[in-house]
Order: sequence, then C-alpha cells, then structure tokens
Amino acid sequence: MRTATILMAAALAFSGTAAQAANEWGIEHEEKARFEAKVVDILCELTGDCPADCGAGSRQLGLLKDDGTLILALKNFDPFAGAVNDLIAFCGQRIEADGLLISNPKMPLFALQFKRPVGGEWSRANQFGKDWLEANPNRGKANQWFRNDATVKRLIAERGVFGIPGLEPEE
Amino acid sequence: MRGLRRLSVALAMTAAAALSTGGLSTARAATPERVQVTGEIIDTWCYVTEIMFSEGTAHHQCAVWCAVGGVPVSVLGEDGEVYVVLKVEDDSANVGNPRIIEIQTHEVTVDGDLYERDGVKYLIVTQVADDQGVVNLTHEDYGIQPFGE
Repeated sequence: MRTATILMAAALAFSGTAAQAANEWGIEHEEKARFEAKVVDILCELTGDCPADCGAGSRQLGLLKDDGTLILALKNFDPFAGAVNDLIAFCGQRIEADGLLISNPKMPLFALQFKRPVGGEWSRANQFGKDWLEANPNRGKANQWFRNDATVKRLIAERGVFGIPGLEPEE
Repeated sequence: MRGLRRLSVALAMTAAAALSTGGLSTARAATPERVQVTGEIIDTWCYVTEIMFSEGTAHHQCAVWCAVGGVPVSVLGEDGEVYVVLKVEDDSANVGNPRIIEIQTHEVTVDGDLYERDGVKYLIVTQVADDQGVVNLTHEDYGIQPFGE
C-alpha cells in the first residue's frame, strides 16, 4: 500500500499534472501567488501599438488580471533571465501563473515559476534556458548560459567587467 | 462642453485605433506624461529586489547578463524612481535589445512619454538626449557583483 502511494506520488510529480507550488526565494516583500490572467504585450496595453503576435518575443509581456490589474512578469526560473520565452506561446490567451509577487515599495514585480494554460498541464518557467541551449548546443549547460553566451562574452571582452575599457579588476 | 466633445472624439479615435489592430488586443491606450529623466541604466530585477548591490561598475557585468537574458531594463532616475524602458526612439524591441544592452550602466538623459500603471512607471524613450557612458564607479567598494569575478 505504501509503495503504491509513493509510486502514485512519483507518477504525479513527473506527469506534469500535479499542482505546482512556488518556491520561496527569500526576497523581501515576496509572497507566493497563483492567479489566472491574460498574457499581454505591455507596450500594446499601454499605447495601442499592437502587433498581432505580441512582438514575437521582442517585447516585454505582462499578465492582465480580470480586475484590470497589469502585472509585469519580469523574471523566470532561469538565472539572470526574464519570462518572455515562457509566455510568448500564450500571447492573448489566459493562463494560470504561479510564482512570487514581490510588492516592493519601489515597484511591484512578478517572478514566474510555473505556468499552464487554464485547465492544462503545469510546466516550469525555464524556457529561456531551453531555448538558449537549443540555439547554443555546444556552449555548455543552460544554467551557466550567462558565462557562455556569445553576446555577453563579446561585450565583456570589449569593455571589461566594469563596462569601462581598460579598467580591470585587481589581481 | 466643447472640451468634452473633443475628449469624446479623441477617446473614440483611440478606441478605433486599438480595435483596428486586430481581434487579439483589448488594450486601451492611456494618456502619457511628457518627461525628461536623467539617471543610470540598470537591471530592474536586481535593483528592485535588492538581492545584491546593483548600481554602477560593480554590477555592470550582471546587468549585461540580465539584459541579454531578457529581464526588463530601467532608468534609475536621479529622483530615485525606477522607469522601465519599453521603447527607444523608433525601436519597439525591449527584450534583449542590442541597442539597450550596449548602454547598460550608462548615465543618460532621455526625453520620453511616461505611462504609470499599477505601481509601475513605464517609459517610452523618444530621444536619448545625452549619454555620459559609465560614470558610477562602485567597484572599489562593492567588488564584482554577485560572484566576485
């Protein structure tokens, strides 16, 4: 009976249908949040400049709740990466988002950790890393993308880690 | 009354423009405020969450990582406010935009249209009026954020 229970739990965990829950990241003002919202192009939402495909990944995306609140989905699960790659497939659609709402007095932010189409299967919000790995199959692991990315390497080679050519860290 | 009529016409035109963009959008264009902002180009996530020191040279490399990774870039104004950049002049790409990444950590003065929505200040930059380059030398006090290398 116990083995069956464990197997069932494992099956649920790997099936992607199990309910996901946001991880705490220890950030001040963070609060776990799960809500339904429509994925929108923020520039479109504010200005009326609305390409049909939300900019095809070139524009920041937001989550528009039923009460009209626009939430900036600023971060995903990958290190140093945003949430656009996770949300662009849902442009104009309703999803269920799970993550951390950070109500900092400077401005509110949302870190997307899991998402699913309403009624669909949950998936981890780590699409940036997956896409980077697919585009860079020989450049290392997705979780180290920032150390191996060609654009990053070029910029740091040209200007140094401090952004000023010739200014180098002391040995 | 005349002013009210003008406002109604303007609202109707705005609605028509929004509808003409296709069935996808239900966006309502708001009226922006013209502003000039002077400040540092920063990574929004690191600055707002305060997960590390995130200004100037100490954080430049990390700010480049985040900008390339598609995290929104902002201008940290001299007034202490965070202005999320959504557009620079005629370029509406705001995810990993090479032009914005190139000026990460720079001290700039920009003219633009400011939209405020649900606690966030969004900036449409219509002109980069001045670019002083990287001038905020913080690395002597804070090293290289976040890993020290």
